[in-house]
Amino acid sequence: MATLFIAQHNLEAMLERLRRKAEVHGPVRGEDGVVRFAELIHGILPDLSAIRTLLPPKKYLLHPRETILKYTSEAGYQLPSESVPPLILFGLHPCDLAGINYLDRIFLGEDPDPLYAARRSALTLIGVSCTPDEFCSCHLYPSPLKALSDLFLNSVKGGFAISSGSPRGEELLEVLKDIVEERDINVPEDTRRFFGHAVSAQVRPELDATLPEWQELADACLGCGACSLCCPTCSCFDVLEFGGLDGRSAVRVRQWDNCLFKCHAEVAGGMSFRKNRAERFRYRYRHKYRGFGPLQGIPACVGCGRCRVVCPAGLDLRPLAARLEEITP
Amino acid sequence: MNSHLPIPAVVAAIRPLAVDTSLLTLHTEPGHPVASSFLPGQFLQLSLPGVGEIPLSYCGVPSRDGSIELCIRHVGHVTTPLKSAAPGDAVGVRGPFGHGFPLSAYAGQDLLLIAGGLGIAPLRSLLLTLLKQRELWGRLTLLYGARETGALMFLDELLEFQRRGVIELQLTVDRPGYCINGPPECRVALLPALLEQLALEPGRTCAAICGPPVVYPLLVSRLRLLGVADDRIHLSLERRMKCGVGLCGHCAVGTRLCCVDGPVFSFAELAGIEGALV
Repeated sequence: MATLFIAQHNLEAMLERLRRKAEVHGPVRGEDGVVRFAELIHGILPDLSAIRTLLPPKKYLLHPRETILKYTSEAGYQLPSESVPPLILFGLHPCDLAGINYLDRIFLGEDPDPLYAARRSALTLIGVSCTPDEFCSCHLYPSPLKALSDLFLNSVKGGFAISSGSPRGEELLEVLKDIVEERDINVPEDTRRFFGHAVSAQVRPELDATLPEWQELADACLGCGACSLCCPTCSCFDVLEFGGLDGRSAVRVRQWDNCLFKCHAEVAGGMSFRKNRAERFRYRYRHKYRGFGPLQGIPACVGCGRCRVVCPAGLDLRPLAARLEEITP
Repeated sequence: MNSHLPIPAVVAAIRPLAVDTSLLTLHTEPGHPVASSFLPGQFLQLSLPGVGEIPLSYCGVPSRDGSIELCIRHVGHVTTPLKSAAPGDAVGVRGPFGHGFPLSAYAGQDLLLIAGGLGIAPLRSLLLTLLKQRELWGRLTLLYGARETGALMFLDELLEFQRRGVIELQLTVDRPGYCINGPPECRVALLPALLEQLALEPGRTCAAICGPPVVYPLLVSRLRLLGVADDRIHLSLERRMKCGVGLCGHCAVGTRLCCVDGPVFSFAELAGIEGALV
């Protein structure tokens, strides 16, 4: 079957052409050995063999800490007026694409978040196929989230089969046409096939708090919150306000928060609705496997494996999820 | 309406209701939904510039002139500085958010309002709304408890409604306190005790509850003993709703979000959900 093909040796040329359109970021292995999404400047090729970056691409859509409102006594509260330059993310695996799809469903819902919406529309997504390792679970628990991208590169011998998933992708193909050729090749299935599956509308019984596993997890957990930081679909945020020294201005910021922190469920007067760690674990579990509010019934876990890799106690919710959600691998 | 952006409001009046609690009247853009179209039990987000933002239940009724009544207990990082608020001070408001009490389901029913402490705030909003069309409802009973007589709020207003015979009112305090002139017929007992001798027709009674979380399980079990069905018991839940629009992830009750699916839920929706009440 005729497929568009780009040769491995044309990758640098491809990036050069993309850089003419926008800043390009992709997975880069730093001198510290950590793979992170960073700018692909001239001469730096993305590390497409890396299974996962430390932080997921959510950091481009929800900054770890960002100003959401500015206040002056003259103008009152105003949305920040920062311009969002276009950005191309290169080398996203299907799980990270599905993670962005989940964030889209939260932040671009009925009442879109202005900051997220501006950043999202400035973002072009270029996915790449991958091979799951022992930490990955996309292939074990199919997800209803969609791994959508503007362009997708499917690794084949000597290069990539390249396909477009949006009008923006078509435009990019136009820019790349002198280095892309049509070839008769067999394109293998990629891990996008584990995403976009219908979920059963089955109502599950409320979680059984007496299961010993909750306490076992809680006893081992250090409460460090690393699992949420590196999760592509964890998007809880705290809201803080800081008054200016002039007494007439202020900024309101939001910053990544964590449901395993004790303060997450505190209300006025210091009372907490999730007093112990086992309760907080169930909160996290409900979000990851059952979804909150408008996303009830949509599991948030995309199987990227980051939480398992970073957990200093080696905790893993998946075996419990497999049992409680009756997921058959 | 941009629900993420607070609109300007000014403090129109601040009046003490109890030693630590004030009635704050704000004035904002006339006709804006934040002041003109909300249901009792819904909430708004109040911003104090340079300090922060908090969710608060509406305490009054919708207005056309842009005024908003809020009941503020001065105990938190935003509410404490509000103690020294003065007319003309600038604040911000956004809302209304969430779901309030189900007024349409209340038509023709006897209504039992149960308020504990600061829980009187949304229930005053409900009561004032119900009294605007008194003929639509059956018996209106308010059970209201506070820690001591000095902490009972809106007493003049409530006793006047009682005197006019439009509501039945029962008051209780946890302890007598230092206030000598307590209201007449005020009991010294915990709030659920008021349900012990209450005669009601469970088949036509709906209960609307707001109070400290610790009292909810007892109130619900007493109401069930009286034969009130779970879907006739509505509770306003306390959670820290930081964004108000279902994004920040702090207020989930089971898999539902307090800010968009609540804060008023029927007990039928909450039964079996871990940590829903306390």
